[in-house]
Amino acid sequence: MGKAVRIAIAGEGGQGVQSFAQILTEAAVLEGKEALYIPNFGIEQRGGVSIAFVQIGDEQIGAPKFKTGDIVVALSDRAVRRGQMHVGPETIFVYDAGIEGIEADLPKNARKVLALPALETASRKLHPRVFNVLIMGAVIGATRVVTPEKAKEAIEKRLGYKFEKSPELRDLNFQALEEGINLVAGMEVA
Amino acid sequence: MNGEKPIEGERKVFMTGNEVVAWGALAAGAEIMYGYPITPQNEIMHYWARLGPKFGKRFLQTEDELSAGFTTIGGVLTGKRAFTATAGPGNVLMQEPLSMAEAMRIPTVVVIQQRGGPSTATVIYSQQEVTLTCFGGNGEGLRVVYATASHQELFDYTIKAFNTAWRYRFPAFILGDGYQAKMRESLVIYDPAARGIEMISPEPLVGKTGVPGTDREAAHLRNAFSVEEELLHALGDDIEEYERVAPEIIEYDAFNTTEADLLVVAHGVVFRSVAMAVRELVNQGERVGYFRPITLRPFPGTQLREAAQGAEQLLVVESAYGQLNKLVLENLYGSNVPVRTLFRPGVGITPEEVNEECRALLAGKEA
Repeated sequence: MGKAVRIAIAGEGGQGVQSFAQILTEAAVLEGKEALYIPNFGIEQRGGVSIAFVQIGDEQIGAPKFKTGDIVVALSDRAVRRGQMHVGPETIFVYDAGIEGIEADLPKNARKVLALPALETASRKLHPRVFNVLIMGAVIGATRVVTPEKAKEAIEKRLGYKFEKSPELRDLNFQALEEGINLVAGMEVA
Repeated sequence: MNGEKPIEGERKVFMTGNEVVAWGALAAGAEIMYGYPITPQNEIMHYWARLGPKFGKRFLQTEDELSAGFTTIGGVLTGKRAFTATAGPGNVLMQEPLSMAEAMRIPTVVVIQQRGGPSTATVIYSQQEVTLTCFGGNGEGLRVVYATASHQELFDYTIKAFNTAWRYRFPAFILGDGYQAKMRESLVIYDPAARGIEMISPEPLVGKTGVPGTDREAAHLRNAFSVEEELLHALGDDIEEYERVAPEIIEYDAFNTTEADLLVVAHGVVFRSVAMAVRELVNQGERVGYFRPITLRPFPGTQLREAAQGAEQLLVVESAYGQLNKLVLENLYGSNVPVRTLFRPGVGITPEEVNEECRALLAGKEA
């Protein structure tokens, strides 16, 4: 079997980085895979850069943290700078195309650097609040670490209590997932 | 709900380490948790306080860790299977009640989720509470310390710690860390009875019925002595008993030790990185092996000396500045094997870092 897929997700507190990681790993477990997720957290309750370290594989995962990710996702300008330290020659670096002023800070050593119009797509077609699910869809589309079906099951598991009150949120999240997958469908990423 | 078992049979789950500890304590039949909040162990209390009442369990938040330790002792004295959990500065405060437990031979179970130190430092992670947990307090370290490395072990050893504490009447610790506390991974949780594990029933240590000396032995729990020789006598008995039962308690893991020129020693979550690096190097034909103490107290010294016998050098890897290394050196006294170190106090260690260090040492130079 191959090595575990390593994904680092960085963003501002409140951007949904940790729920992204939780849903992704939950989906992997539903798939019967092994997964490990560790949040990076500091003393501050909000306002810091939040990073989630995710690993998904067929065997029990080794160490919880890693230096270099296969995929590094950055959702804000500060996250672009912070995410750098987890980039290596094999890394696919994904960031939101709407982040401004970071051109000089984009990694030079990555295998691939992908600007995704995630926030723009989410805002135009759906709702800005499902931006993180859309990015998750893109990561799933690029890596196929989990199937869209299990990702939906995991979303349901985590957000089902919200869907009970507002069923339209379910569609919004599922559409965001599909949009994300479609966003990378035409790109040579794998 | 009160008669219902928290876990029927067994099931696979995916959760944080703090949640695992709460489930482990529930499965072990713990009746009450005393605690005071401190990151990164808070969620042990949160989950216990949320899950416990469904099964008739109780929780008391005390005013600080001193009282959390003393109330835990109080609970045990009345015959309850009680426990507590803490970290960092809380672990410092808890040493006073725990040396009393050590002195009075009161079974206690404490879960430590190590954070960075000294003082407040970080809420994140470290392996800097090894010395404190093994030898804290004004005593001789007559305790049992299990250093876990996975969620499965957190669950298994939480259950085991209750039986160890009650069987031997020495304080038992689960030494986890912030990574283990906060990360999510899968494990199987189970009802100990379904695996043939029998839990030792606690009984009151004071306030027993009957006339002491006539109907039963007197409960003679002391932590104060007026004559120094008297202390030596009492402590001597405890030390003798600790040393006598140590071989039954000691646990360790070792791999490829007879084929290793380089033997890597690590404990806790760092062991995971070491295991990965060593196995990869072995697959590439390198002569390396590992030794992992699971009990840091009592320490598997004989087993370490045996494992180190054929090695040309040792490498001690830890997220502290030599706390495990002290234990290693003490237990290797008299051996000529050079001991190299990779110390990263308060910071996680990746398999890549271990691999790099091993390669440098195997090539005959220090990285």
